[in-house]
Amino acid sequence: MAEYAVKVDHISKIYSLKNKNNQHKSNKRFYALKDLSFTVEKGDVVGILGTNGSGKSTLSSILAGISDIDEGSIEIHGEQALIAINTGLNVQLTGEENIRVKGALLGLKKKEIQRITQSVIDFAELGDFLYQPVKKYSSGMKSRLGFSISLALDPDIFIVDEALSVGDKGFAKKCLDHMMKLRDNEGKTIFFVSHSISQVQQFCKTGMWIEGGRLQEMGDIETVCAHYSEYVDQLNALKPKEKKKILNEKFEERVLPDTKQSFFSRLLGGL
Amino acid sequence: MFKSIKYVLKENFSNLFRIYSIAKYELLADMRDSKFGIFWNFASPAIQVFTYWLIFGVAWNRKPIEVNDIKVSYLPWLVVGYATWWFIQPCIQKGCSAIFSKTNVITKMKFPVSVLPATVVCKELFNHGCMLIIALVTLFLCGYTPQFNWLWIFYYMFCAFVFSESVSLILSVLTMLWRDIKKLVTSLIRMFMYFSPVIWDCTFSSHVPFHEFLNSIMKLNPVYYIIQGYRDAIFYGQSVLDHPVYTLYFWCVVLVLFAIGCTLMFKFKKKFIDLI
Repeated sequence: MAEYAVKVDHISKIYSLKNKNNQHKSNKRFYALKDLSFTVEKGDVVGILGTNGSGKSTLSSILAGISDIDEGSIEIHGEQALIAINTGLNVQLTGEENIRVKGALLGLKKKEIQRITQSVIDFAELGDFLYQPVKKYSSGMKSRLGFSISLALDPDIFIVDEALSVGDKGFAKKCLDHMMKLRDNEGKTIFFVSHSISQVQQFCKTGMWIEGGRLQEMGDIETVCAHYSEYVDQLNALKPKEKKKILNEKFEERVLPDTKQSFFSRLLGGL
Repeated sequence: MFKSIKYVLKENFSNLFRIYSIAKYELLADMRDSKFGIFWNFASPAIQVFTYWLIFGVAWNRKPIEVNDIKVSYLPWLVVGYATWWFIQPCIQKGCSAIFSKTNVITKMKFPVSVLPATVVCKELFNHGCMLIIALVTLFLCGYTPQFNWLWIFYYMFCAFVFSESVSLILSVLTMLWRDIKKLVTSLIRMFMYFSPVIWDCTFSSHVPFHEFLNSIMKLNPVYYIIQGYRDAIFYGQSVLDHPVYTLYFWCVVLVLFAIGCTLMFKFKKKFIDLI
């Protein structure tokens, strides 16, 4: 019997929209994700594709357990971790101190931090910059450090959201190699969000295409990638006016009318 | 409600190292920011106390404060009170933005949000320690010698810790729902200082109408209990056992505040990311 790492059943995520004057009075709400259902087996590597604003990041934060869902149910078996690059780095502190800060933020114990420190230093390849404050780092160096710390964690489910798009090619390859190792030797479940179709194709087994908050297609990576790039080409080939119309229709589909909730009803509701 | 209290307590106690590390490195980062670093943790409260002493003590010539026939001159009296206020005031003020200032962390990783107010309070506890050293030095210079009764300070420090933690739990959640809370608190906190016995003893003399009634109203402020407790321990040789009813009242208020804070935190723990 195949065991599921993640089982998602008809989930929706709703955001409230502000109107043009930046006030909460528009009574509009918006489906960031609408009626998504899928199951992912343990050890699967899922590439999540989709155009900007289609809900990829929302989905990854839901999978990471950061964000709550409004409808449906979600079952996750195992510890999950979102690989985030620059978060939790304090720019006043040195790289070495930041390893300890971020380790602590991620909930590691003192001994665990000591254990991972050397491997993080080796992986990040920062040299003497390790002892400089992070504010002096280039953006590539920052992401090297952040990514190395995140990789030192040992969760069952990795969620990688656009993390490989920074850093030079050599480092990106190193990260990809490391994740391949995780995939092949340790059988981790990995969700991989990226705009680079070639990376996704190379790395993932299953593809998931989200469009306009809905699950468009899920299946073998080659097929999904082919359909997705076809769609993107098609969209780009359209005249600006037609494209705008399609995007507008898509947007309207996701909006739903709302009954306004005041501050106090939000505060008191469900107490 | 008990579920939420249990939840917050459990999350805080299972993340003690996380709280300690965050507080420690935030302090370190603050110090790195300036050239003299830790010097300012001592200098800024010292300058403030000096100012108040100059105006109220010297210029307005305040008489020694007398309780139970023990006279205490204004400077030592002020230093002890201000040391306490130097702990409570930033806890309340920074507690407001405890969650909001960590936006980049809570949106990017699974994080026990309810520990954030505790990190602020722990950070301020360090500053309180610095200020207490200043206070002790001043006391020695004024000719006071340590007594066993001074150890009650640790009890009152614990009171201040729990009180600040409860208040910042509430305020941090409210600030997430309603950003105006922070501005409101920043404006009100100055007023609050004058309603607490920090730079004056909060007692109206007999020529003020209803002075007895006003004096008891002043005592309803939990901060009154804490500051007066520090002074009782140091100057007046009193302890908690000398006013059991007031102690009971203080802990009831703090427990109610803590319960409200936990309930709010528990209710909104998953919603913060959408409220940013």
